[in-house]
Amino acid sequence: MLPRVLLCGEVEYVQDELEEMFQGIAEVVHLVSGSRSHFLSSFGPGGPYEGTVAVYRRNASSEVIGKFDAPLIHALADMSMVRWIAHNGSGYDEIDVQACKERGIMVSNTPRANEDATATATLYLMLSCLRHFSMAERSLRSGTWKKPYNAAQVHDVTGRTLGILGLGGIGLRFAHLAHAFPMRIIYFSRRKAESAPDWCEYVSSIEELCKQADVLSVHIPLNQSTVGTIGEKEIRTLQRGSILLNTSRGRIVNQEAVIRALEDGHLSSVGLDVYPDEPRVDPRLLTFPRCTLLPHVGGESAEAWRSRELKALGNLRAFLLGGVGDNIVAELKAEIGNLTTL
Amino acid sequence: MSSRQPRILICGNLVWAHEEARQLFSGLADIVVMNSPNRADFLAGLKTGGKYDGVVGVYRHNSSADRIGVFDEEIIDALAETGTVKWIAHNGAGYDQIDVSRCANKGNCTHMSCIRGLLPNKLTSTLGINVSNTPGAVDDATATTALYLVISCLRNYAWAEQTLRQGVFKEGVNPGRAHDVTGRTLGILGLGGIGLRLAHLVHAFPMRVIYYSRNKSANAPEWCEYVDSLEKLCRESDVLSLHVPLRAETVHLVGEKEIRAMKKGSIIVNTARGKVIDEEAMIRALADGHLSSVGLDVYPNEPLVNPRLLEFPQNVLLPHMGTENQDSQRHMEVRALTNLRDFLRDGQGNDLIPELRSKL
Repeated sequence: MLPRVLLCGEVEYVQDELEEMFQGIAEVVHLVSGSRSHFLSSFGPGGPYEGTVAVYRRNASSEVIGKFDAPLIHALADMSMVRWIAHNGSGYDEIDVQACKERGIMVSNTPRANEDATATATLYLMLSCLRHFSMAERSLRSGTWKKPYNAAQVHDVTGRTLGILGLGGIGLRFAHLAHAFPMRIIYFSRRKAESAPDWCEYVSSIEELCKQADVLSVHIPLNQSTVGTIGEKEIRTLQRGSILLNTSRGRIVNQEAVIRALEDGHLSSVGLDVYPDEPRVDPRLLTFPRCTLLPHVGGESAEAWRSRELKALGNLRAFLLGGVGDNIVAELKAEIGNLTTL
Repeated sequence: MSSRQPRILICGNLVWAHEEARQLFSGLADIVVMNSPNRADFLAGLKTGGKYDGVVGVYRHNSSADRIGVFDEEIIDALAETGTVKWIAHNGAGYDQIDVSRCANKGNCTHMSCIRGLLPNKLTSTLGINVSNTPGAVDDATATTALYLVISCLRNYAWAEQTLRQGVFKEGVNPGRAHDVTGRTLGILGLGGIGLRLAHLVHAFPMRVIYYSRNKSANAPEWCEYVDSLEKLCRESDVLSLHVPLRAETVHLVGEKEIRAMKKGSIIVNTARGKVIDEEAMIRALADGHLSSVGLDVYPNEPLVNPRLLEFPQNVLLPHMGTENQDSQRHMEVRALTNLRDFLRDGQGNDLIPELRSKL
């Protein structure tokens, strides 16, 4: 009998490839659970997920079975043979990787598959905030042409300073697109990036980044140590009239501090694709007309979707064939030697 | 005979460059602000003894049309009648609100000695009126606007944001309809300053850039591929972006035939002038899905927007924002004022429009 892989969340764009990839290697089963309790009790003998050794996971599945938090991970470890979670997405904050580490379950994600799409979304947010385009569109659609618009508060992109927090794949790609104008690019990372182009100026602290940036853009992952990285202090260090962009994760930024700064005009606007508690959006954000607010569509293009699905399934397949997949998340890279192999 | 300086008329408010204006014209001309509430008053003011008597050059901004209308035949004739007005320095790249052929028909002489002959008191009815615009100053801001429209249309961002603001967080937006920018083909109709700047910005992704112009561009980079017909441009573009001026021969340049030559699912972006596209043909193509969306900054009859365009949530519709920012606006004002100053001081402004250049 072939081992099974469970799709926690459907494959939408590469269904043909899915069939080909696992032909003769594994049986693909689909999530049929309507609740977490059903999910967890279905890996045993006779259950729909019996024999599952690896899981393909999308964030959308948390609507039904909840996030892959510590209780779920421990339950999986106790009650199933699952030893690999192939996450579809670059951000894997919905998986408790520490619990996985403790229980010998490996996790892979899909870095780089989102880079171009997310950097493009960030560029869009920046253009819209600097030039008040989103507000102007709403004004047109409500029949007032450009009435509330005031060119005095609106600026060109060229020549302004872009501060990037985290010069990883997405940050660097966004820097590249902004450099075309050009903007002056400064960045802060935990470590200075060795391969950064010479037009990316390293600054030695988040404080320095905030002091000099006209636009501050967040490109770091969400984990326990990065919650609230941009808070009251950092926002107030930005120059008055600055713009904040976030296409990473909502909780990296302190939302209350942002809202206060929008209320008193310290921030002229924010461009967001992510929120602390999606899909809920704090209604106060909608009261600041100059903001541009996207519903987490940073990685949402047909091409990015295909790329992520293929990558995640590929990671899964590699695990099935060779006992180890690609794109192991950073926290677990050192654990490869401790893997429970098939 | 008056010994006063010549006068220049500010027709349409200066917002940013008051200080620059004072400096540019200090010792050269007196600045008079057009304060007419309507055309009749304006025309009366131009007559001998009127409040605009002695004006030799006009700084013009489209906003003046709200009060006195566009610079059509009637106004051009009235300006020519003064015998003193010889230069209109238009603030803007597009000057379709000025009847330039009427300016040209008033006779034209831009030779230096002729120009010198028209300091205030010489009435020379055989001399025409020259017009300058502000190319270049608009390129960056307009190309940035076009880039925004390209990205938003490809990725369905306008639609996505609408769903968020309606409280349904991307419900109904199909990610399969959204496409990466990288690797798609941008077709540029008219590779002038704005078209070239847009090409440069999308080349960063990169998009494949193809273009069609009346003449192949000498300073186009090698990654800008020339195609030799509008039809070919349409056939090969995923996104078609318009960058031609509005003239008699460009009205409805993109019509039913051109739109249907495009691939199904294509996008049109227009930051040029509304009338360059046949709006009815465009709307039909949106209705049957031949065009997946359009990104517009301009409309045939601004500020009126055809309500049918609003029926498509995927359309990205801006209210002529091309250069609406402080930095570009200041730059454009200074450029137009400088053209006027150069005319006064040297007999010619730098940005004489192409229609009038051939007369040299």
